[in-house]
Amino acid sequence: MILLISVHLLAALAAPAMALALGRKVFMALAIVPLATFVWAVLNAPGAAPVTQTVSWIPSLGTDLAFRMGALQWLLTLVVAGVGALVLFYCASYFHDDDRVGSFAATFIAFAGSMLGLVLADDLLMVYVFWEMTTVFSYLLIGYDMTKRSARLAAMQALIVTTFGGLAMLVGMLMLGHLAGTMRISKILADPPAASGLLTAAVMLVLVGALSKSAIVPFHFWLPGAMSAPTPVSAYLHAASMVKAGVYLVALLAPAFAGVPGWRAGILTLGVLTMLVGGWRSLVQCDVKLILAYGTVSQLGFLLVVLSVGTRAAALAGVALLLAHALFKSCLFLVVGIIDHNAGNRDLRTLSGLGRRSPVLFAAAAIAGASMVGFPPLLGFVAKESVLTALVDVTAGGDGTGLGPVAAWTVLVGVVVGSIITTAYTLRFLWGAFADKPGVEATDFKTPSPAFLASPVVLAVLSIGVAFFGGPLTKSLEGYTHQFPPGAHEAKLALWHGLGLPLGLSVLALVSGALMFVARRPIAHAQTKVAQPWSAQRAYLSLMHGVDRLSVEVTGFMQRGSVSAYLAVTLVVLLAFPGVAMLMAWTPDVQVHVWDTPAQAAAGLVVVLAAIMTARARRRLRAALLVGVTGYGCAVLFVLQGAPDLALTQVLVETASVIAFVLVLRRLPTYFTDRPLSAQRYVRALLGLAVGAAVAGIMIVATNARTAQPVSVGFPEASVDFGGGKNIVSVTLVDIRAWDTMGEISVLVAAATGVASLLFIGTRRSTIRRVGDLPQHHAAEPKTGGSWLSGPSTLAPEKRSIIFEVVTRLVFPAMVMVGVYLLFAGHNFTGGGFAGGIVTGLALVVRYLAGGRYELDEAAPIDAGTLLGVGLVIAAGSGLAPLAFGGAVLESYQYDVHLPLLGDHHLVTSLFFDIGVYLVVVGLILDLLRTFGSRIDRQIISEERDNDATNAEVAR
Amino acid sequence: MNDVVPLPVLLPLFGCGAALMFSRRPRVQRAITVSVLVAVVAIASMLLVAADRHGPQVAWLGSWPRPLGLALVADRVSALMLLVSAIVTLAVLVYSLAQGGASEDDESTPVSIYHPTFMVLVAGVSNAFLAGDLFNLFVSFEMLLFASYVLLTLGGTESRIRAGTIYVVINMVSSALFLIAIAAVYAATGSLNFAQLSERLGDLPDGVALTLQLLLLTVFAIKAAVFPLSFWLPDSYPTAPAPVTAVFAGLLTKVGVYAILRTQTLLFPDSPLSNLLLWTAFATMLVGILGAVAQSDVKRMLSFTLVSHIGYMILGIALGSAEGLAGATLYVVHHITIQTVLFLVVGLIEYRTGTTSLLRLGGLAKTAPFIAILFFIPAMNLAGIPPLSGYLGKIGLLQAAVADGSTTAYVLVGGAVVTSLLTLYAMAKAWALAFWRSEEQAREMSKALNEAAAEHDEPSLRHITKRAVEKNASEADRVMPTDVALAAGATEGDEEVDDLYDKPLHAREGATPRTLMWPTTALVAFSIALTVVAGPLFGLTERASVDMKARTPYVNAVLGDDR
Repeated sequence: MILLISVHLLAALAAPAMALALGRKVFMALAIVPLATFVWAVLNAPGAAPVTQTVSWIPSLGTDLAFRMGALQWLLTLVVAGVGALVLFYCASYFHDDDRVGSFAATFIAFAGSMLGLVLADDLLMVYVFWEMTTVFSYLLIGYDMTKRSARLAAMQALIVTTFGGLAMLVGMLMLGHLAGTMRISKILADPPAASGLLTAAVMLVLVGALSKSAIVPFHFWLPGAMSAPTPVSAYLHAASMVKAGVYLVALLAPAFAGVPGWRAGILTLGVLTMLVGGWRSLVQCDVKLILAYGTVSQLGFLLVVLSVGTRAAALAGVALLLAHALFKSCLFLVVGIIDHNAGNRDLRTLSGLGRRSPVLFAAAAIAGASMVGFPPLLGFVAKESVLTALVDVTAGGDGTGLGPVAAWTVLVGVVVGSIITTAYTLRFLWGAFADKPGVEATDFKTPSPAFLASPVVLAVLSIGVAFFGGPLTKSLEGYTHQFPPGAHEAKLALWHGLGLPLGLSVLALVSGALMFVARRPIAHAQTKVAQPWSAQRAYLSLMHGVDRLSVEVTGFMQRGSVSAYLAVTLVVLLAFPGVAMLMAWTPDVQVHVWDTPAQAAAGLVVVLAAIMTARARRRLRAALLVGVTGYGCAVLFVLQGAPDLALTQVLVETASVIAFVLVLRRLPTYFTDRPLSAQRYVRALLGLAVGAAVAGIMIVATNARTAQPVSVGFPEASVDFGGGKNIVSVTLVDIRAWDTMGEISVLVAAATGVASLLFIGTRRSTIRRVGDLPQHHAAEPKTGGSWLSGPSTLAPEKRSIIFEVVTRLVFPAMVMVGVYLLFAGHNFTGGGFAGGIVTGLALVVRYLAGGRYELDEAAPIDAGTLLGVGLVIAAGSGLAPLAFGGAVLESYQYDVHLPLLGDHHLVTSLFFDIGVYLVVVGLILDLLRTFGSRIDRQIISEERDNDATNAEVAR
Repeated sequence: MNDVVPLPVLLPLFGCGAALMFSRRPRVQRAITVSVLVAVVAIASMLLVAADRHGPQVAWLGSWPRPLGLALVADRVSALMLLVSAIVTLAVLVYSLAQGGASEDDESTPVSIYHPTFMVLVAGVSNAFLAGDLFNLFVSFEMLLFASYVLLTLGGTESRIRAGTIYVVINMVSSALFLIAIAAVYAATGSLNFAQLSERLGDLPDGVALTLQLLLLTVFAIKAAVFPLSFWLPDSYPTAPAPVTAVFAGLLTKVGVYAILRTQTLLFPDSPLSNLLLWTAFATMLVGILGAVAQSDVKRMLSFTLVSHIGYMILGIALGSAEGLAGATLYVVHHITIQTVLFLVVGLIEYRTGTTSLLRLGGLAKTAPFIAILFFIPAMNLAGIPPLSGYLGKIGLLQAAVADGSTTAYVLVGGAVVTSLLTLYAMAKAWALAFWRSEEQAREMSKALNEAAAEHDEPSLRHITKRAVEKNASEADRVMPTDVALAAGATEGDEEVDDLYDKPLHAREGATPRTLMWPTTALVAFSIALTVVAGPLFGLTERASVDMKARTPYVNAVLGDDR
């Protein structure tokens, strides 16, 4: 069975390529697949044991590729495969050769495979899998005419409605599986879970899915819409197969769950209602295809009623009806397809004389129609007789269903009335499609080819033929029907049930229906007069519309697009959850240790004041400097805490940032632009205070809770013994937690490239231009030996300062030396690669400030990116290297080396890592200088030039 | 295998440095970065196998005596995340080779910056999955965030800078909060090592532990874009270049989800916050998906589905059962793949047509049938159509919720199902408009919407929106009223107005480059393959969650059995 389904899906994959070679003949080739399935099913007619196949798929979910073909599945397989093959054969005549044949054929055959899987699956979740696959393929097929808005809407509508049902069903199935402890359908049916509220809910949810798929009120409206699909699709999906899925599911579950409260009441009510509503609506349609569509809705209601009753007779009758319906309804749709194709028209008001033009077509339609109304000796008659017999049995004492006489009679009456309407619309269909209408010009109709006619004719012949095999059919279906207790009479399918109430009702339906057909005009007139008080379609549209509207309202409300709003939400969440939790955790014995030394308070106060003033600052420069103050304040706190390394680094970082700020601020307006309204300012201030208080509270509470010893207690000893360094901070940074540092330097690299990317749009590289590269420079001013720095000569005289140049010349080498010293000293004394890098960087800053951008390039004639890259490669490489020596990543080794002149040294390999850090930091600062300094200089100069040019022009 | 645990981080960093050194030689640069990621994929697969067979793989960096120093841990969950993210980043990297490949100066994607930064991003993501220490997790976040700041603002166009501002500010605040949380955790426990924390946090008074838990959750919820901390995401992601958005959407939020998963299971088991998380998941799903329904731009729509589906993962974590965690893990795997691939496909659409607006797109099913397939399959996958991975993830989560059986869990089941349906609705809408509808119809509708918007003298968004809803009631195809608002926005002195309606769609004729097509196709194939290997995959996530629940395998692997 898995093979058959897979072959369908593989055929779908191959179809587009095949279509390229074969054109529309691809349908013939593809028809072989369902045909083979049909033959397989015939050969595997239900015997003692059902055919099963199971392949484990996802044991964790309890779902397997489990397939099982019992009697019911066998019949449906025959329908799905048989009708599928016929419709595919028909498609070869219906479609023209164009580039969409391939995708259509692929979708169609994939659908057929999914449908096959759906009826054969023996696992609830597998049923759902195939169920939704049919939905999606059906969506694609309905939307085949994709540039038509109506087709797109219909496709969407079908998709949403059936998926809605499908999802409800999924939840129901999961609940059912949970209650039963298995997803295997055969096991659940053999041993259904005990009745409970949960079970009822589960079954009802499953039914929602079944009803929506089978277009039962109130979900019926999607099916007429789905008629936008090409007619072969309607014949197959919307008559023979997919819409039967819901009916099938009900039939499948009825043996175990027909007794669940709400099952009969719900389905019978909705089924009868659907039968009547569908039939009634079909009486006013002018499109012959829509007559059939509403007729299908009606018949699906009918089927559901019969299959949900839950007696053996009804079950047998229902299955027979299902088969009969598949045969006659697909035949009728195929007939409509031929009419549409060859006459280009489906409107019964303008169709005329087709019966005489193609008697074969008419005969096929008439036979199928006769079967639909239940005219002997056709299969439809056999089925309807059995249905009526079964229902009559129910009226007499319930026949084991527990239905009261009122309910049973209501159902019977409903079904008979429905049958009357069925007769009426069937006659109206036949008349509308084929009759000679007085006053209407005979339709121009091309006689269909025999190949085109073949499929509907075969289906019509089957409607007659199968009727004579009631006995064998009854026998074959025993595997299904015998799951129900035997009823009042022996259930059997036969052409002759004897004289009795059922036969009388059949005759009544035929005669009254004929009368109703005669009175079709007044009826249609009356129907159009009566305003529809409520329409499911409109309800659907307004619901979807409501969803759209709600989505816009909600999104408009939430998605403000404003940073401050989002920040406010974030901070409020912080207060509402961790903040409140902190208050609850605050016990009376929480101790607050205010300070170690009052100096800490002083430094803290400076930081706080600077922060507040920053927030109040209107000038950008002021804000930048104040932010710097908070940083220096922190550095003071570090010093007071006894952490000179941190303090040094902090001071250096603050200095570098302030310089960067100042360089950037040259290009920004002096003042901040928008200042919030005062009311809002207070709210913000309050929020800020509250968050600050909450964070302080959290820290106090957390500190008070500590009982365990911190890991850092072990650091000092390990630093010396294992890390080979006396500076714990430095050893921590480059060894114990070197991995963090590795991450952080990559952050620096990213930041540097990012800064460059924002200004040097398009390239990370800055061109290095040294003084010597300037052409006019060579010409105008030959190198003078006495100059302290060469760069400043490129500056305008008023921007130069000789003293600064001299000092720079003297200080620069010293600063670089200090930087390098800090790098090497770090392991044992204050310093480290990071601090060293910043000092070196600051030396470059000084050169830049004194001599401008050419001076910078003189001082560091290297691309910042390269520096960053080399640094990162060294750092990462020093991490990787120990692996080569059998060590762990970042493991460090110690050597005592003797260097000439410098004496004995204790070398720790983590130094290489620190060199990487150093280079990255220097690279970052160089990058910042080039971007915020040189680049902006250049912008300013070129703007000045432009301005001068403009001024000159204006002056002229 | 313990030794190679740091390599998925170290190799990209090495690659970043090398790429910077060779920034003048794009070919070398590309060769380096691509081969680094191929290596990472290989290492991640090896780690996954090793973690599954032999338990968590642990590397104590620098071999310091435990518990000093830092540990990187690859257990089943980490290794699985690592592998999926490696595959996805490799696909995205190959995809982005085509962009800007022609010229160095392509403004939207400066290659020489892109590659090194992308490497830092990959290193950050890998490190986040491997980190065995809270501060190191913070460092990972910083790595991927800084890289993402750069990538988000690539080219520095106005819209990107504006979007970047929101993104940077929100993330700076979340980083600050994370630091505060780390300080508080260290203050309370004296450790940052996850394994050690898992032992020490239990000794804290309940209230303090709860405060710390909520603080960390708040931080991670911002990263993961959990309601109500999710608003920043749809405002910042869509403006970036397609491959960037793809990798952000696929990975960055999932890193947040992973952090929640890791901390909730390892540090705060038997959480009292289960119900709170369930309701957050509920709100995230629904508010997110409503946002998606309201969008008229595919990129924005996908950003909202991204937020919405984070709710699914939170649902699994909140349930806290092994089934729930397994479902959440699987959903993460699925969502990383599918959200990335969808953005890549949108990139293809943008490449072909020059736009991602549903107002303008049309006719793609005819003009670009292969792209249509590449869009349709993941779109259905996202909507949870079986038998694709989205369905499987959903089933895992729903089964866990049904097994939980509480009323809240059933409410969540309802929410999840509705979200699924609305996702399908949004996807089908995009499909119908961009692929089915003809270009001609697209142009007509834009015009109609433009006129509708022009009638208004008060272009306030809400007002026009409401009017448009009424107007559109009978209109088909249900393009959303925000479109009208957008169109209205466009009328106000935007030079693009004329362009918007009259310009033909084809920005580029001819075949879409193969380097764009095949990584996308490969990733679609990978997403389908998830279904094929669903059995073993579910088995893996199930074993992973059992271990996560038990906690001892992780703790013992990190700290040693002999404590």
